[in-house]
Amino acid sequence: MNDEYYPWGGEFTICSPQGCVAVVLLNIQYQPPGNVAIYGPLKTENIGIEKIIANTISNPWIRFLVICGDEIRGHRSGASLIALHRNGIDSNHRIIDAPGAIPYIENLKEEAIKRFQAQLKIIDLIGEKEKEKIDTRIAECIRKTPPCFGEPYIAIRLKPQATVNLTDNRALHSRIIVDYLGNVKKRGT
Amino acid sequence: MFSFTQEQKVFDISGISLGGQPGMYPTVLFGGLFFKGAPNFDDAKQHLLTTLEKGAQVGIPVIPDFFIRKIEYIPPILTFIEKIIPSNHPFSVDIIDPAIKIETLEQLASKKLLPRTIYNSIHIGITKEETEALRTYTPEAAIIVAFNPKDKSPDGKIEVLENGAHLCDAGLLETAHRIGMEKILIDTAALAPGENSGAAIAALPVIKEEYGLPAGCAIHNVVEKSRWLSEFPLAKKTVDVASNAAIPLFGGDYAIFGPMENADLALPLIAWQDILVSEYTENYFGITPVPSHPRRILLK
Repeated sequence: MNDEYYPWGGEFTICSPQGCVAVVLLNIQYQPPGNVAIYGPLKTENIGIEKIIANTISNPWIRFLVICGDEIRGHRSGASLIALHRNGIDSNHRIIDAPGAIPYIENLKEEAIKRFQAQLKIIDLIGEKEKEKIDTRIAECIRKTPPCFGEPYIAIRLKPQATVNLTDNRALHSRIIVDYLGNVKKRGT
Repeated sequence: MFSFTQEQKVFDISGISLGGQPGMYPTVLFGGLFFKGAPNFDDAKQHLLTTLEKGAQVGIPVIPDFFIRKIEYIPPILTFIEKIIPSNHPFSVDIIDPAIKIETLEQLASKKLLPRTIYNSIHIGITKEETEALRTYTPEAAIIVAFNPKDKSPDGKIEVLENGAHLCDAGLLETAHRIGMEKILIDTAALAPGENSGAAIAALPVIKEEYGLPAGCAIHNVVEKSRWLSEFPLAKKTVDVASNAAIPLFGGDYAIFGPMENADLALPLIAWQDILVSEYTENYFGITPVPSHPRRILLK
């Protein structure tokens, strides 16, 4: 397994291909042991969470998500991630009961969220910054040797439907026309 | 280099003009203070005063953007604003947590600082309590961040301004108007590489032609999130600052350029870019730069 199994990219480090633990780093300087599958920081309560979902369900060996370090002020990304795992999203794609400022999941199908909820168990260590304690909890998870969840789930990034004719001769955008001298005007006016 | 058919609004925010046709007013720079750790007021004073002086030297207005991370930081930061920033000079408060936003508004009101305050920012996560606080304690101006998590294109940014993209009750422009906010600056929401980062720049002329409102963004954030650049530390700083040049080039009015200490590099860069834009826009569109424009100050 290589980074092709983490198709959404992002700021993370890949360790053991069949490790069962992914570690989410909030405000913390900590390097997990090399037998975890993957670790990386989480900053935002929307795009950041989406990447974590996509990049964990793509590796079915990952069964635990350890979230550690001080919470991200304002964004409350750690608590929002836990809320997503517990409650899912509402009809507006808002994470139910998430405390973050803009906790919306817009680029993943609900099926991917359900898979995340089923595949991963959350280990809530928000506020914990001591290396020994975090290492201990990770070791406990690894000792459980959970089975692989099944096939990888490769989440497709949802894209908004194009609402304009792409054969249009636009150079910059569908809403404005810019001529070669720099005159800008609204299309259709 | 552009000129718009839509009439362009120009807001006077405590003595600094923002908006208008490209080439008329200098690009305004927002420099950040207190991003990390406890506020270091000695460092901040030094950076701020030096920057304001250099800004005046090149004709680029600088607005300090105060990042307030904790409730207990509010009083000392507001005292710093009262004592150190020249009287009547505008500033912005950059806060994520809604509770800290509300408390800051109350304390700004009690210190009579609201007429100099730019609220950074209103976005789709605005709470009812925050809206109420803004109605009661209305700052001079607000930055509206046009972040749409489901559509990061310029169209998506317009959607949140128009109708909230069904993520909040109303469009963000309507929300601002309901609050009674008249001086609105649009932030086109620069996102990480891979998240349609270029749309923040492309949206600048789109939003200015659509609404005539001042527009800008924190495009340097894209550079900060370009991990591959970490292998080129010298270039990373250069690219971080240089990224701001795209804003005036695409008709934008302001740049949130990151830590105030980068002003040494950002000020001459933006002054140079403003001169370039002005030379063309005056020659072709007849846009005369104001007397305080870098072209008037630096090219005698």
